[in-house]
Parts: sequence; C-alpha cells; structure tokens
Amino acid sequence: MKTLGHYLKKYKSDVIWSTVAVVIISFATLWQPHLLQDMLNAIIKRDSSTVTKLGIELVALAILGIIAGIVNTIYSARAAQGVAADMREKAYRQIQTFSFQDIEKFSASNLVVRLTNDINQMQMVVMSVLQQLTRVPILFIGSFILAIITLPKLWWVIILMMILIFVISYFSFSKMGQYFEKMQTMLDRNNTLARENLMGIRVVKSFVQEQNQIEQFSEASDKMTKVTIIIGNLFSILMPAFFLIGDLAMAGSIMLVGSMVTSDPGALAAITAFVSYLYQILFAIVNGGFMLTGASRAFVSLRRLQEIYDTKPSLTFPDVPEEKLSGSIEFDHVTFTYPGDDAPTLQDINFSVKPGEMIGIVGATGSGKSSLAQLIPRLFDPETGTVKVGGENVKDVNEHSLRRAVSYVLQRSTLFSGTIAHNLRQGKADATVNDMRWAAHIAQSAEFIERLDHQYDAPIEERSANFSGGQKQRLSITRGIISKPDILIMDDSTSALDAKSEKLVQEALARDLGQTTTVIIAEKIASIIKADRILVLDEGKIVGSGTHHELVKNNAVYQEIYRTQKALEEV
Amino acid sequence: MNDLKGAGKFYAHYLRKYWPGLLIVLALTILASYLQVKAPIYMGDAITALTKYLQTWSNPATRAQASQATFNSAIIKMAWFYIFNAAAMLISSLIISQIAGRSTGTMRIGLFRKMQWMRVSYFDTHSDGDILARYTSDLDNIFNAMNQAMFEIFASITLFIGMIIMMFRQNVTLAWVAVASTPVAVVLAAVIIVKAQKYVNEQQDDVGKLNGYINEQITGQKIIITNGLQQESIKGFLKHNEEVKKTTLRGQVWSGILFPLMQGMSLFNTALVIFVGSALVLQQGMSVAAGLGLVVIFVQLAQQYYQPIISLTSLYSMIQLAITGARRINEVREQPDEISPENGKILDGIHDKIELKDVHFSYLPGKEILHGVNIEVDHGEMVALVGPTGSGKTTVMNLLNRFYDLDSGSITFDGVDIREMDLMSLRENVGIVLQDPQLFSGTIGENIKFGKPDATDEELYDAAKQARIHDFIMTLDDGYDTMISDENTIFSAGQKQLMSIARTIITNPRLLILDEATSNVDTVTEAQIQEAMDNVIQGRTSFVIAHRLKTILNADKIVVLRDGNVIEEGNHQQLLAEKGFYAELYHNQMVFE
Repeated sequence: MKTLGHYLKKYKSDVIWSTVAVVIISFATLWQPHLLQDMLNAIIKRDSSTVTKLGIELVALAILGIIAGIVNTIYSARAAQGVAADMREKAYRQIQTFSFQDIEKFSASNLVVRLTNDINQMQMVVMSVLQQLTRVPILFIGSFILAIITLPKLWWVIILMMILIFVISYFSFSKMGQYFEKMQTMLDRNNTLARENLMGIRVVKSFVQEQNQIEQFSEASDKMTKVTIIIGNLFSILMPAFFLIGDLAMAGSIMLVGSMVTSDPGALAAITAFVSYLYQILFAIVNGGFMLTGASRAFVSLRRLQEIYDTKPSLTFPDVPEEKLSGSIEFDHVTFTYPGDDAPTLQDINFSVKPGEMIGIVGATGSGKSSLAQLIPRLFDPETGTVKVGGENVKDVNEHSLRRAVSYVLQRSTLFSGTIAHNLRQGKADATVNDMRWAAHIAQSAEFIERLDHQYDAPIEERSANFSGGQKQRLSITRGIISKPDILIMDDSTSALDAKSEKLVQEALARDLGQTTTVIIAEKIASIIKADRILVLDEGKIVGSGTHHELVKNNAVYQEIYRTQKALEEV
Repeated sequence: MNDLKGAGKFYAHYLRKYWPGLLIVLALTILASYLQVKAPIYMGDAITALTKYLQTWSNPATRAQASQATFNSAIIKMAWFYIFNAAAMLISSLIISQIAGRSTGTMRIGLFRKMQWMRVSYFDTHSDGDILARYTSDLDNIFNAMNQAMFEIFASITLFIGMIIMMFRQNVTLAWVAVASTPVAVVLAAVIIVKAQKYVNEQQDDVGKLNGYINEQITGQKIIITNGLQQESIKGFLKHNEEVKKTTLRGQVWSGILFPLMQGMSLFNTALVIFVGSALVLQQGMSVAAGLGLVVIFVQLAQQYYQPIISLTSLYSMIQLAITGARRINEVREQPDEISPENGKILDGIHDKIELKDVHFSYLPGKEILHGVNIEVDHGEMVALVGPTGSGKTTVMNLLNRFYDLDSGSITFDGVDIREMDLMSLRENVGIVLQDPQLFSGTIGENIKFGKPDATDEELYDAAKQARIHDFIMTLDDGYDTMISDENTIFSAGQKQLMSIARTIITNPRLLILDEATSNVDTVTEAQIQEAMDNVIQGRTSFVIAHRLKTILNADKIVVLRDGNVIEEGNHQQLLAEKGFYAELYHNQMVFE
C-alpha cells in the first residue's frame, strides 16, 4: 500500500480532486435524509416557505452530487491511468537493465504476464480505491454518527444490527473460504484434464480411450459442480439475510419510536432519516466486504511487480570510455556455474584465439558449448578466471564497445515485427541498402529477400510467420554480420539450413569476413569441418583441440560424435 | 442478432429440463417484488397512524381514545412482508444456484464429450489456448450470468413495474414526478453504454498492441541484449504506453461514469419527490398524518426506484459475455463428429498386406499434399518413411488410423478398406508412438496402462521392461505409483519416448506407427531407445518416420517421399545404387570430405 501511495504522489492534484468529489458525494448522500427530516417537520408545521427553501436545497444538493460523481470518475481514471502507465514504464525500464540470467530467473512469459495482467490489476484497484474505498468509510462513519444524532435513544439498534451482520459475514465467509480453496483445486483438476486431453487428443483417439476419459472428466466435473452449488447456497443465504436484518431493524426502530413518540414528538419526523442511515450503514458494510476481496488480489499483483523493481541487474558494465577492441579472444582458467546449479557447467577452460581465426566448438548436448560462447559477449560472468576480448578483460570494458566488437547469432532466430530493414538495422543502426545487400549475399538471404515485392522493406509479421525456419535463420545471420563485427559467434545458427546453403554461407563468410574472428558452435560436424581449429567439449571441459583431420584420428570423444552423426537427417 | 438467437437456443437447450424450478423462481420473484414494493406502503400507513395517534394524544380532550392498534398492526404487517420477501428471495436464490451449477456442469461435460468425438482436424486448426478458454473463461462467464443475471434481470423488471404501479395507486401527480426523469436516465444510460463500448474497444485494441509489443520484445530480450538495443526498445515501448494511457483514460471514464451518474440521478429523483411531495401536501391541504405517510412512502419507493435501472446497466456487459460464451461453445457443438461406418467390420488382427493405393489427400481443399501415393507392406515388415520436412510423411501417418480421411484412392488392410471398418476396432489394431508423447496426470502405472486400463501388473511390468523404462521406474521412491503430469514430469525427453513405447506395447497393436524422436539424448538413453524400438517393432507390421540411420538400415523397405510423391523405394543398398535423391541425401549429410 505504501508503494502504491508513492506512485500516486505524482498525481496529487488528481487524487485531491477525486477525493474532494467523493466527500461531496458522500455528504450529499448523507445530508439528504437530514433535509427530509426537516422537511417532515415543516409539513407538520405547515410552513410552506421552509418547504420551498428545503426543496431547493435538496435539489441543489443532488445536482452537486451528480457533478461530483462525474468529476470523481474523471480524476480517478486520470490517476489510475497515470499510475498504471508509470508502473508499467518503470517495470519495463527495469527489465531492460536485466541480464540473461535475470530474464531466465523470471522467464520471459512470466515477465509479460506481470507487465500486462498485474499492471491491469493495479489500474483497477486505483480506480476503485479512488471511486469507492474512501466513500465506504465516510458513509459508514457518517451514517453512524448522523443516525445516533437523529435518534440517540436507538443507538443500540444500530449496534445490534452491525453485530448481527458481522457475525453472519464472519461465519459464512470463513466457511466459504474453505470451499473456495476446494473449488480452486477442483478447477485446476478440471482444467488439467481438459488441457491434457486437448493436447493428447491423438493419444486418446488412437488408444480408443474416449469413453474412459469422458467418465473421468465427468466425475471431476460433478465434484466441482457440487462445491459450486454449496458456495452458491452460502451466497444465497447472505443477501436475503442482510436485507432481512436491515428491514427488521427498521421495523423495530419504528416500533420503538411509536412507544416514545408521546414523550418525544420530534422522533416522528426523524424516523425516515434514521431508517435511511440504517440502510447506508448496511450497504457500506456489504460494499466494504466486497472491496476487501478485490484488494487482496491487488496486493498479490503489487508484490509481483515489486519483485521486478527490486531485482538488481545481476551484471552491470563499468562506466569507462568507449574503445575499439580487436578480434582476439582469451579464456584463462575459466570456471562457470549457472546460478542455482551445484555442479559447474564449465571447468578450467583455457584457450586463446587470434583475430581472423575460425574456431569450431563441438560436444554433446549439455557439454557447455553455448555457455562457453555466452561468456565472450559477457552475457554471464565466469565464477573464476578471466575472459578477454581484444586483450581486455570483458569486465573492464563498457557495454557498447563490447557489443560493437562481438556479434552473437543465437540458435533460436528471433525476428521482430516490422520490416526486414528494421530488423537488419538492429545490427547496425545506420545501415544503408547497400550494407544490407552485402550482408544478405553472405548470409544467403538475398536470394529470397530480393524476390519479395518490397525487398528490404518487406514486412515481417508477428512471430515472423511469413518466413520459414531456414529463412529466419538466414535473416538472423544477416543481422549478425551487417556491422562487420570483429568477432562473430554463431550458436548453432545454421541448424535449419540445408547442407548446400550452409556451405555457401560458410564460403562467403570466409571470403568476405576474413578479418572477423568466427566462433561456430554446431551439433553437426559438417558445420565446422573447415574451421582452423575445433575445440571438443565434454562435460564442461575441453578434451581436444585441433583440425578435423587431427581430431578424427586421435580424439575419442570427437570420433564418437562423428560416428553417431552418421545418421540420415532431414534435409 | 444471430448471436442472440443462437444464445437463446443454447440456453433453452440446457435449461429446458429445469423448467419447474425456473417456474417457481419466476413466481417467487413476482411475489418478492410485490412484497418489496408493498412493504413501504405499510411504513407510510404506520407513520400516518402514529401521527394521528400523536395528534389524538396531544389533545387532552381525546387523549383517552388514543390507540396504537392501527400503528402496531401496520408495523407487524410490514415486518411479515419483509420476512416473506427474504424467504422468497432465499428460496429462489437457492434454486437458481442449483440450476446454474448443474447446467454449467452439464455444459462442461458436454463440451468435453464433444471434444472426444470430434475430428482431429479441428484440433489441428485451432490453438489449444483458444479451445481451453471455452472451458475456463467462457463457461465462467456463462455461469456468472446464469447465477446472477438470470435472477436479477427478472427481479429488476418486476420490481420496476411493481413500483410504478404502486406509486400511481398512491398518488398520480407524485407518481408522474417520480417517473418523469426515467426516459432521461434510460437514454443517458444507453448513450453512455454505446460510447463506452466504442472507447473500450479502442482501448482493447491499443492494449492488445502494447501487449503484443511487450510480448515480442521480452521474448526476444536476448537479441535486444546481445545487440545492445535496450534504449531503442524503451523508446518503442513509451510510444505504445502513452497511446494506451490516452485511450484507456477515455475508455475508463466512459465505462466508469455510468454508475455514479445513475446514483446521482437517484439522489436527484428522491430530492425532487420530497420537494414536490411536500409542496403538494401543503397545497392540497392534506392532513398532516396523511401527508407524512404519503411523503414517507414515496421517499422509500423513490430511493429504490433507480435500483433496477442501475442493476440492469451493470448486468449489460455480463450478459454480453454470456452471449459470446454461448456462441463459442455452440461453435464446438456444431463441429462434425468422426464417422464410424454402420455395421463396420470388426478387425480380427491384420494378417496380410497393408496397401496404400493412389492416395490423394489435402488438408485444405485445392491444396493437395499427397499426389497419388502407393505403398505396399507385407505382413510383419518395417517400412521407413524418409524425406524432407513437408514431404508428407506425417500425413501418411494421419491417414492410417483415420485421423483424416483421404480424398481419393484407398488404404486397405488385408484387402478391406479402412473406411469400411469399425473405427474403434481399427484404432485398437493400430498403435501409435508419437514424437512428443503426451502424458496424463496420474501415476506412471496408469499412464502405461492408458490404452488398457484393466491390464494386470505382470503385463504392466513386462511392457515397461520391453520398453527399457522399468529399471528407471524402480529407482523412484514410489515406483509405478509415482505421480506424474505432463507439465511437471520427472522424465527426460528420451525417457518420455520410452514411456510412450511402453504404453503402446501393452495394447499389443497389429500395426505400429512410430514417429521417431529427433531430440538429442545422451548415449545411454539412445541405446535404450534402440532396444525398445527393436522390441516394439518385433513381429508387427510397422511404419516408422525415421530420423536415425540405424533405423533406416534396419528397415525392410525405405520409402522416400518428396513433395507428396513417392520418388524412390527399396532397401538401403538398392537406393544407394540408384544414385538418386536418397543417395544424395545420404552423401550430403553423412559423408565428410
């Protein structure tokens, strides 16, 4: 709540206006019964000028209430929107400082949910707080005080009514809570069954298990229906019970007024006002209860957002002047463990690469190939040892210098919706069409880009649905090389290319980017067969280094990989 | 409008059998409304009686005659009316909760049942999330609407009408004053709802765009980091965020303003009634007693008068969601079921050839995938299907157990067309091992026994042993009773494949379709998969979508598919000798310079 207040500060004037408006609405609501009481007294006295005066006051008060209602909505919405937009912006900016590790800690889809659903919750809660939450206590306390002032002798009727309402709410809500929990479990069970059957429909059908599954689901569904009905029944009792309590309190009060009217004739005119206040108290309690339920959900959202705000990026770059790095790479006794893992992923890695060399890295899945490559652009920091690029420890250079020197093409090629040019310029902000052509010819993407209607301005749809897997990879390689990086890392980024295209890409890389140090991580030995040097990784250690011909002769791990790969794969 | 008609039919279908309950609810609602509008009259009477009593009592001459009997009886009547009103509300609410709960349950089960018999093509053309949403949000919306809206709409309308009648019976002039503002309120509400709808739609569009942007950026965050694009990403975000802020503000103001406005109108109306009523009392020279009673009655009624309008406006969106929900569920209900021929042939094993003759097939009309495929497999043979992505391998699999039906040509087992066989019987004879096998929440044992729930423990262990997963299962604390689910599985990708093989072995199918996994597995699992495959293929006719060389070399026959045609056929040596597509494929991928 304190955090929320912090965001509201910026919208102080909106909050003040909306609160003032709420106070006016509440005042109008509370004062009407009082004026009614005066009006009844005026009727008793047959005082028509007072009737006119009070009538005008009543109408004016109501109009004021309407205006205040409109004002309140506008300013509440402004504050709610402002807070939501600010919170979203802050979270987004925070996420942009995150490292790979931080993103993985939350998972991308989880972050998206927080930025959308949770922010939405916050927006709704601010709106309802400003529209309702201040109003409920004002009406409750105001009605209570005014009711007691109106008919002081009946104070205990109010208290009795409140106690009864609280007791009933307490019992039914505590009972309901227990059923709500049950309901949640059953809902989950139902949804799981539905989802599993949906995804496994081929399994169900091919095993002819439709009838069995229907029976299982019906059983789960029936259980849920039962609980639903119980909860429904509890709710059914609640509302009529509340109203009955209110109505009977009213009848009782009138009865009591009847017995004291001879000693206190003023009570006669006061009775309607008193009854109105009784109902206001009743409504305030019911509304308050509903609002608390909503607020509890918002607290969960707030906490989830707070987690984003509180996450300090696990990796920051020093604020040092930008510099030009050359294409050499050095690993000096590097050990690396993923956060949360027990065993190190990389152990005591030592090697160095001269500018312009082409290095291949092979090894079984899980041997640490990608982890090794990710240390070069400093996506992670090693646990011990140092990684140097251009002779400088990567921890000591500024982010921009490192990004300019090292280009990393990921295995999963992600393109963004927009145009091809828009995506390529992510690799080089000021790239001309000629630059794009040059890169596209190397990455073998020119052949399909230049056949498109708008060529480099051709649109890329969401999830790049209008390109095939191989095309996406070629586009992503194009993006990776357009800046003529000093170091190019290709993390299994030709896996969806056919053998011929892959060969062409490699030849072009060797021809046109001869100065660039190239690190190729591959599952297929064919992809790195031409490398100047191949590093063989096994369980986080370098177990071999040399050319293909050397390794195939003398390295057992390499031989094993080579052997198992002699399998026909899809083109 | 069509939606409305469809929704009407939908609810009629599911609610028909509850007609007695609904009728009782209807009667009770009318009764409750009557009691609720009648009770304030007694309150007015009580005030009148009390005033008279006070006047009589105040006059020393008549004090002795002062009696509270009329007053007391009015109050007691009022109290009874309220009690009955509460009872009527309680009973009808209980009935509604039963009906809403039960009918939603029926819908849920109906939806599930329908899903089980629907054609596979529906699942292939609709996203899982979209179908699942029908179980979750759509059914939820329908339940909420039935539980709350059904009763409230009716109660609001009867209450509204009841109040108008009651007011006109009490005092025509004052009644006109009380209802005068109604048309204004209704028009105002309608305008606001229409506007709100428009702006909320705009808002949803922009929110959708923002969410799309966030989703794309965050999912591609690794690209953003490696290319140092964070500032640019923030710039793009701010543009969308600002846009959303603007349109959402408009949407929220319009949708949020209705409720306070109606409450304000109610306040205004009550004020007007008090004012005019009081003036009327004095002007028409009514007695104080009658005048007070009249004003009290009208205040009570006027305070409630706007309640039905407020409820109806707040129910509007709920009802709309329920109509959409009905449409979406109807959409599923209208899907065609799978067809099993009447008196279809019951298979007694497969003893001879399996033949695909001139098979043409298209998923979408006009876009043929298979162009006259012929494959012939002898009893007990293993066929390896080889070919590039999109060549039609998976499609052939889809046809063999009639997940899809072919356009022309035929598939025959022992000379009998599979379309003439009983569908269940066909599938009982055809086993399938999928690449990414779906497991179900339950124990490991239940999962292996999936296709044969009545299998004995011996059969279970035997299947697991043959599938080379038994040893692993035994290392688990709970063994075969270990609970698993598809989301939270203890199995690696390779072990999942073994589970899938075990599940198939236990049903002992005569024809086996196996889609070999492409995922990388460690060497130990690799060897286990090899053994399990050998075991499951043993003695069965089988089609394997092959990815591994060993499997292909083991095949009795290799069928090479390309662009929906069988282009080569034979064993490994024959195909290599042909120096065709297969040979090229083999050399390109496997042989190093």
